[in-house]
Amino acid sequence: MNEFCLEIRSANKSFPGVKALDQASFRLRKGSIHALLGENGAGKSTLIKIITGVHKQDSGKLFINGKEETLNNPNDATKFGISVVHQERNLIRRFSVGENLMLNNLPKTPLGLIDYDEITIKSKKWLEMMDLDIDPKTVVSELTVAKMQLCEIAKALSLKAKILLLDEPTSSLSPQESENLFTLLKKIVRDEGVSIVFVSHKLEEVFNICDDVTVLRDGENACTSEDIKNLDRQKLVRLMIGRDEQIVKSARKIKNAKDTILALRNVKTELGHRNIDLELNRSEIIGLYGLVGAGRTELMKCLIGQDKITDGDVIVNGKKVTINSPKTALEKFKIGYISEDRKKEGLILIHNVLDNTSITVWSQIRKAFGFVSDGMIANKVDSYIRQLEVKTPSNYQLISNLSGGNQQKISVAKWLAAGTDILIIDEPTVGIDIKTKAYLHELIIKLADNGTSIILISSDMPEMISLADKILVMKDFQMSGIVENDHDYDAVSSKIMEFIHT
Amino acid sequence: MNKKIPNFIFTNQFGLLCLVLIFIVIFSTVTDGFTSRFNIFALSRVIAIDIMIGLAMMVVILTGGLNLALGAIGVCAAMFGGWCMEVLEIPIIPSILLMLGMGSFLGWINGFITVKTGVHSFIVTLATMSIYFGFMTMLTEAEAFRRLPELFTDFGSAKLFNKYISPLLLVSVATCFVLFYVFRFTDIGRKLIAAGANPEAAELSGISVNRMFIYCHVLSGFLGALAAILLTTRIGAAIPSMAGQLGMDWLLPAFLAPVIGGTLLSGGKLSVFGTMLGAVLVTLLTNGLYLLDVGEFWIRFFLGIILLMAVLLDRTREYFTLRKVIVS
Ligand SMILES: Nc1ncnc2c1ncn2[C@@H]1O[C@H](COP(=O)(O)OP(=O)(O)OP(=O)(O)O)[C@@H](O)[C@H]1O
Ligand SMILES: [Mg+2]
Repeated sequence: MNEFCLEIRSANKSFPGVKALDQASFRLRKGSIHALLGENGAGKSTLIKIITGVHKQDSGKLFINGKEETLNNPNDATKFGISVVHQERNLIRRFSVGENLMLNNLPKTPLGLIDYDEITIKSKKWLEMMDLDIDPKTVVSELTVAKMQLCEIAKALSLKAKILLLDEPTSSLSPQESENLFTLLKKIVRDEGVSIVFVSHKLEEVFNICDDVTVLRDGENACTSEDIKNLDRQKLVRLMIGRDEQIVKSARKIKNAKDTILALRNVKTELGHRNIDLELNRSEIIGLYGLVGAGRTELMKCLIGQDKITDGDVIVNGKKVTINSPKTALEKFKIGYISEDRKKEGLILIHNVLDNTSITVWSQIRKAFGFVSDGMIANKVDSYIRQLEVKTPSNYQLISNLSGGNQQKISVAKWLAAGTDILIIDEPTVGIDIKTKAYLHELIIKLADNGTSIILISSDMPEMISLADKILVMKDFQMSGIVENDHDYDAVSSKIMEFIHT
Repeated sequence: MNKKIPNFIFTNQFGLLCLVLIFIVIFSTVTDGFTSRFNIFALSRVIAIDIMIGLAMMVVILTGGLNLALGAIGVCAAMFGGWCMEVLEIPIIPSILLMLGMGSFLGWINGFITVKTGVHSFIVTLATMSIYFGFMTMLTEAEAFRRLPELFTDFGSAKLFNKYISPLLLVSVATCFVLFYVFRFTDIGRKLIAAGANPEAAELSGISVNRMFIYCHVLSGFLGALAAILLTTRIGAAIPSMAGQLGMDWLLPAFLAPVIGGTLLSGGKLSVFGTMLGAVLVTLLTNGLYLLDVGEFWIRFFLGIILLMAVLLDRTREYFTLRKVIVS
């Protein structure tokens, strides 16, 4: 018997203009949780895609249970008991949650028709196991990103695989949800001998659940299947980014002078929000915290006119206003919204980096007769693409060819370029590596210092506490409390949790 | 960071250009009269109209939709123009503007209904096709307008460049350049493309997607009317059956040109010059096969096959563009 259920030896993979993997190797011990780490674009997802037969390596060997194997397509991988949750969501949006979960083995009635009752019953079991309170009949397109992510994990678990690959499974989850997930993962490793590959940019999680670590840097191994006991956070960071971690501490002084730029008074929305009050001052960063499903994203969508506010007042710069579309929000009131769902609402995957980053500024930079050239665009947005260190062979690369984290950088960059007065930022650092995350935090703080007012939605509690001046806690589409943030993590986080659980 | 767009050699347009040249070589060797002055002139007139029809469909395909009423709009514009010039005796230029206005208006109706109801433009334009055509037949009592001003019809029979080329072709090529400029170098063009590619993302980026979709339909009607104007000057009359029953004779060339040319059927990607080359290719093929005497049926058969192949190509194109994202 071989101790390793999965091994990759010296895998190479190139895409036009990019060497994604360069002699990359790693070994997965049976019954272990193995962390696969690295910066954005380091090659993690590419490695996962090779193991699951999505991509074929240019050279290098793949061993499953000690035997060399070739995988030609994702089905091959399934046959070997490998199941995966990719970084990008792959649920069929128009199908129900239950149908998606059971897609690979749909229960049939004796007549050969699909047995919908059985789907509901079976999928309910998996949803409950994940502590997910979703009706299996819900259509996937109505779910938030976090819920989709949880559903996809449930789907992967339901396949009862022996090897489970999780590419950033916790990127959109709040700490509570991640914690539930980890309990579950540890259980299936212990009870069923499942082996797991775990990709994440959150190092606390890695130290919490992983046994071994492999780090990739620019497609090469910075360390290979190292026991985690031999590493600490600092060493790991150095392996990943080649230098020490920088921690951004907001040293901002909350201005006392009240200069309210945006206020909501007793607002009701068609999505079910009630009694919403909110006040945002110039240069202020306010945080919206809440569990998945608290209605934070939905509230912001109503604010920018995507959905309707049915009652109450919206006051911008002291004037009562009606915002009926994102276009009005951007052009008339200079309010921008960075969506949490980059694939669906943030980016145009079939267009290139330049077009995506500049979509918000075309109207600003056009000359006579609407003239806009690539040169003018590059002038305007290039600095943002470079500041965020987007890893791309050129500005003309299609977005769909960028790594997940680099896509996320573009969806933020396009709003930085827009230069709005009020910026709503929904989960900005999902899937972004620790180095860029620090940059981005600095950038957000600088933006606020220079007069932009920011509403930050984040499920990442440390991020929230290091950036926000005050934190509004939401629950069930209502405000449940305000916490003044003095950046003392323990005190503030326990206050927040109090509001969530009362 | 500033490398230019992939070399021209690898583009779809280059492949098309090669195909066009290959067919020219083949037809000029195996047929008599393919390169005759008469045939080239005739070709240039047909190509001009097919390009325009292709462009008119392209701008709606851009939204991920279709315009089945294109031929009906064209015929309506032509008949309206015939009536203006012959019965009302309005001078040529204002008449032309009125025809373009008519086409745009009918396109606007398509766009408005599509956007307001959320019904797919396939259904909407299927309905308006019958409605427009029916109205037109009723109002004109299916009578043609054959006494159009001479100056107007002269344009369609004029010959340029040593009598090889029709000025109609110049109009179409000029239109291509204008559209290329609009889509490549103006904010509105870029917004149209963005709205077609991912309406939700475009909307949240401050683009009014509904308005963009309506613009596309208006532009389609406008270009349809322009095609009809070219056709009217060519045949020297405005005839209700000039585009076949319900204007459906236009549909095959309308789809062939953009789809062969690399416009994505799901929206969000287009190629103006690809559409132009697509139209050239289709017309050459039809013409060459005519000269080979293979018969009307077979020509339609071949065109059908080509459309199917082009659609397959479209699917693979889309697959390869998105494969990396949508796995399993
Ligand atoms: N289909 C593709 N075509 C071209 N380049 C690609 C493709 N897929 C990945 N790449 C490139 O390969 C490199 C590695 O990408 P990969 O997705 O593996 O990174 P990653 O480590 O998963 O990063 P992230 O943390 O951002 O998810 C990146 O530079 C990316 O741009
Ligand atoms: Mg990745």
